[in-house]
Amino acid sequence: MKQRGRRRKADTATRPTSRGARAERLAPYVLVVPAVLIIVVLRLWPLVLGINFSFTGDGELNGTPVGLNNYLELADDPLFRTSLRNVGLLVLLLPVAVAIPGLLATFIYLRVPGHRVYRSVYFFPAVLSPVIVGAIFNLMLGFDGPLNALLRAIGAGPVDWLGDPGIAMFTVVGVHIWATFGMALVVFLAGFSTMDTSLLDAARVDGASLPQIIWHVIIPSLTRTIQFVFVTTMIGMLTSMFGLLFVMTGGGPEGSTYLPEYYIWHQQGQLNRPALASAASTVLFVVMLVVGILQITLLRRAGRRD
Amino acid sequence: MPGRRLARWVAAVPMAVLALATIYPLVFTANVAMKTRRDYILHRFSWAGSPRWDNLAEAWAGAGMARYFANSFIVVTCAVALLLLLGSMAGFALSQLRFRGSSMIFLGCLAGLFVPFQVIMVPLTRVMADSGLVDTYPGLILAYVAQFLPFTVFLMTSHYRTIPAEIVDAARIDGNTVYGVYRRIMLPLGVPALLSVGILDTLFCWNDVLISLLMMPSPEHRTLMIGVNSLRGQYSDDIPTFASGVLIAAVPVLMIYLFLQRQIADGVTAGATKG
Repeated sequence: MKQRGRRRKADTATRPTSRGARAERLAPYVLVVPAVLIIVVLRLWPLVLGINFSFTGDGELNGTPVGLNNYLELADDPLFRTSLRNVGLLVLLLPVAVAIPGLLATFIYLRVPGHRVYRSVYFFPAVLSPVIVGAIFNLMLGFDGPLNALLRAIGAGPVDWLGDPGIAMFTVVGVHIWATFGMALVVFLAGFSTMDTSLLDAARVDGASLPQIIWHVIIPSLTRTIQFVFVTTMIGMLTSMFGLLFVMTGGGPEGSTYLPEYYIWHQQGQLNRPALASAASTVLFVVMLVVGILQITLLRRAGRRD
Repeated sequence: MPGRRLARWVAAVPMAVLALATIYPLVFTANVAMKTRRDYILHRFSWAGSPRWDNLAEAWAGAGMARYFANSFIVVTCAVALLLLLGSMAGFALSQLRFRGSSMIFLGCLAGLFVPFQVIMVPLTRVMADSGLVDTYPGLILAYVAQFLPFTVFLMTSHYRTIPAEIVDAARIDGNTVYGVYRRIMLPLGVPALLSVGILDTLFCWNDVLISLLMMPSPEHRTLMIGVNSLRGQYSDDIPTFASGVLIAAVPVLMIYLFLQRQIADGVTAGATKG
């Protein structure tokens, strides 16, 4: 494929044959077109389609515009309201899900004995599928499973981890954090590796305590990393818990572990209400946008203050 | 100084407990998989003295895990190959070539990154159904490619940005066409990024539940993860066989993790440091 005379730099010297030059000019487009087509047709276009779809009816009303009816129905549906309440719970638990890997990364960075081993051990559940994690924890959390056996050994009563509507959601979130904190940990460690160590050494020489070091040195110099972890953890919580819900609770008990993604799947696939599901999708999209933007502005402001 | 050393050991204790809590669930499951049903009920926490491989064989052949495994293997291999090909092509063009609309196109790909699957799953399923792609291998492959392509393009673009423009220019002066530069220069130079992105894409596709659930409704097309879940109903009174199925589904991922841990971490952090 040697084609002399079609180089970018030599264009002015030798006039290339027009056919070859055209092929070269088009080459960048040829390279990007497959990716662009797939992304536009199968990601961006469905977004528009879905929003449009959410204003039409289901069943006999398929395709006819119904205005805001789907959204009104959502507002009336206790299951959907529970799913939004659970999103609120996730947002509240978010700082915990960020603080745990952050603190562990700090210890590993400060060379706690055995830090090399911990790094690889903690990261390992992050590569497991939610189905596997869910299945393992179905065994772990069973009424006569290991966790309850441990509780019994220290004298506490057995807990119905997945059967009690007041507890099940916390259980699922806990399992999700167990399965994903390794990801955030690795991101934090990458942030630490770019940190300016002179500040840390100075603080140590001045005899600062660990909490002081974390608060005055580590947090301010890792603002960008912390921001990134906050946003990705939130997105993870809102979009990758389906597998756990599917395997562990099926939305129950009493619908207490519903999340919007599970609601959407249920309405679309099981109850054949695609238009209603689309409306729920649109709400989820807006919620994610709002939460994302809020987080970024809040964290920016906090970052500027330091 | 001794105080600080003490503090480090104090932190080490909860960390060790946590490490145990990370490992134990999998050890427990593997142990259960080696027991007889009777043993599981009577001596749940004891070590399976003589490991029984019958459960694994039953899960693999009797419960149809072999079929599910093959389905997953075919779909994931094709999807990842396509992702790397399309991602590196687009990444090369967007980072090294100047052309009209390139920044618009890059922004479009980025926008794709911020559209979660949950938000488009209804219309996407409909588009796929209208094209006759639901319940076919190409349909699921295409759905995976669409899902992870924005991420792949983004990481390949940021990797190729680190390659100096002089290398491309020199190759062009040597008489290479744009395609020649891609094949002879960009693909070889992209190997480290292709490896870590490829591993991540493999994990994402292999571990996926929702997309495969929507795109492959019929039982003979189930991917491994959906198959494992279906074992639960089938073997609800035979937990050791169910645990064996879980173990079979986890083993490939554990292998990837043991040998390619560094590449996985690289891929995860690339998104953070370059974003």
